[in-house]
Amino acid sequence: MDYILHLAILIAIYTILSQSLSIVAGYSGQLSLAHAGFYGSGAYTSALLSVNYGLPVIVTLPLAMLLSGIIAYIVSKIALKTVDDYYIIITLGIQVVIFSILNNWQEVTRGPLGIPGIPSISLFGFSLDSKISFLIFAMLIAGFIWFIIHNLVSSPFGRQLKALSEDEIFTKSLGKDVYQAKIVSFVISGMLASVAGVLYAHYISYIDPTSFTIDESIFILSIVIIGGMRNLTKIFLATVFLILLPEIFRFIGMPSSIAANMRQIFYGIALILVIYQYGRKKTEKREIAT
Amino acid sequence: MFTDILYTLSLFSFLGFSFILIYRTTKIIHFSHAIMISIAAYLTYLFSILYNQNLYTSIILSVLFSIAIGTFIYRFIYKPLQKKQIPPWQMLIASLGVYIVLQNLISMYFGDDTKSFRTWEIKEGHKFLGAYITDVQIITIVVSIVLLFLSWLFIEKTKAGKQIKAVSSNPEMANILGISKEKAILVSFALGSGLAAVAGILIAADTDMTPTMGFNWLLYAVIAMIIGGMGKMRYLFMGALLLATAQHLSAYYLDSKWMNATAFIILIIFLYFKPYGFSGQKLKKAEI
Repeated sequence: MDYILHLAILIAIYTILSQSLSIVAGYSGQLSLAHAGFYGSGAYTSALLSVNYGLPVIVTLPLAMLLSGIIAYIVSKIALKTVDDYYIIITLGIQVVIFSILNNWQEVTRGPLGIPGIPSISLFGFSLDSKISFLIFAMLIAGFIWFIIHNLVSSPFGRQLKALSEDEIFTKSLGKDVYQAKIVSFVISGMLASVAGVLYAHYISYIDPTSFTIDESIFILSIVIIGGMRNLTKIFLATVFLILLPEIFRFIGMPSSIAANMRQIFYGIALILVIYQYGRKKTEKREIAT
Repeated sequence: MFTDILYTLSLFSFLGFSFILIYRTTKIIHFSHAIMISIAAYLTYLFSILYNQNLYTSIILSVLFSIAIGTFIYRFIYKPLQKKQIPPWQMLIASLGVYIVLQNLISMYFGDDTKSFRTWEIKEGHKFLGAYITDVQIITIVVSIVLLFLSWLFIEKTKAGKQIKAVSSNPEMANILGISKEKAILVSFALGSGLAAVAGILIAADTDMTPTMGFNWLLYAVIAMIIGGMGKMRYLFMGALLLATAQHLSAYYLDSKWMNATAFIILIIFLYFKPYGFSGQKLKKAEI
């Protein structure tokens, strides 16, 4: 039972991560591989503040969001110099730089040793020690963020993002500030990812840099791509599926050492197939147009 | 430090060349190129240690196998996708998917721990200009210079090489002149994969192998390519030189653990201030 609750909490955390990436990757058309970096910066900020200074989550959460927002602002200023595949490479570079700061700046982050003993969240005198109470809290947060993202993308700003991902120059010609819209969406996405990081740090109570590697970024991006980039419900379903996939493999009797690799092989194949499918839709559309 | 720079410089420009060859003809950021490096190393391990073959036969066999895998990836994955004229970023994601699948197949079969096909004893290196250099590193430098020169001759002097050049500089015009794009791409994939395989075996002979070893090397080669700008060989060479020097300077003055970050910080600085690299060739990848 405990294990099922654990999986449910992971699903809540990854739903926040993948839906927040969807704002950038799906709506404003920038495929970022730096998402695990924001996830990590949120987790580390909150963990360090609460372990070293004993601050409650109600204080560390806004600070983590603020820091990730500032990082995201700088990152997007740099990354927006490029487009398309160069954009992916430069965000990949930023991810590597963030990881290597977490891993190597040992005076602050303790490097590969990680940060142990992160206190659990306590709100208004209630301590969320048990898994079930944490799950309810995580689900509330994830639901709230889903609501925010849903409202954001159906607002005029969301429509502007959709328009610019379809045709940037045309959107510009309508007098919309494309550059600013891209930056704002990137900052919002980074801040929301840091919320997932805060939840993760206080849930697991021990973090080290290996949870925030480039593989993690690729995994989150695969969820978004397999979930169809923009559809929040489908992204949620893709999250559930990909988190439960190793369990399915274990259920049919695969040893767990192979199950981890099988999951990766599975989502690698899924990525290729989904891209293939995208291509087909596009050619169909073109045929209708001509 | 000088010898270290020379060693990494030769590998960067060697790998960078094999990558550019494919990039220029197909315009694909071929991330699964990274797996060619690991595959070749693991195949050599498989043939020479597990099947007890002669080291040289196993090297030749594994290079041939890698060439086959490289062309196979193009023929059965990239080509159907290219027919659909999908944007470059989708191609990159598909290529990342291929990389993930192949890398995990290697991990599943061989395990994640470090493997080695070294049967010789590790000797103390030769002293050269106040630094030590091992036999393997000298072989690496010589082999990369020789192979780079041979590939340059191939591209410049033979018919197939000239066709590759034609297709990469202007596909439509090449098509009009009756040059088969298909053939040029296949040749460049075969040559590129073969070179990457040789590089992988050389790297594994020096520092052993893990399934993910190729990714970092490829990223460095891509960085060298981007800061060099997609122009001629000498620009790639300048990019590789700058990258290798900066990395070893940072290892010398800070710590070797910052080498990775240094490479990407240089990339970021370059993309920010000089998005077209040394050569200044416009690529339409960097705007504003």
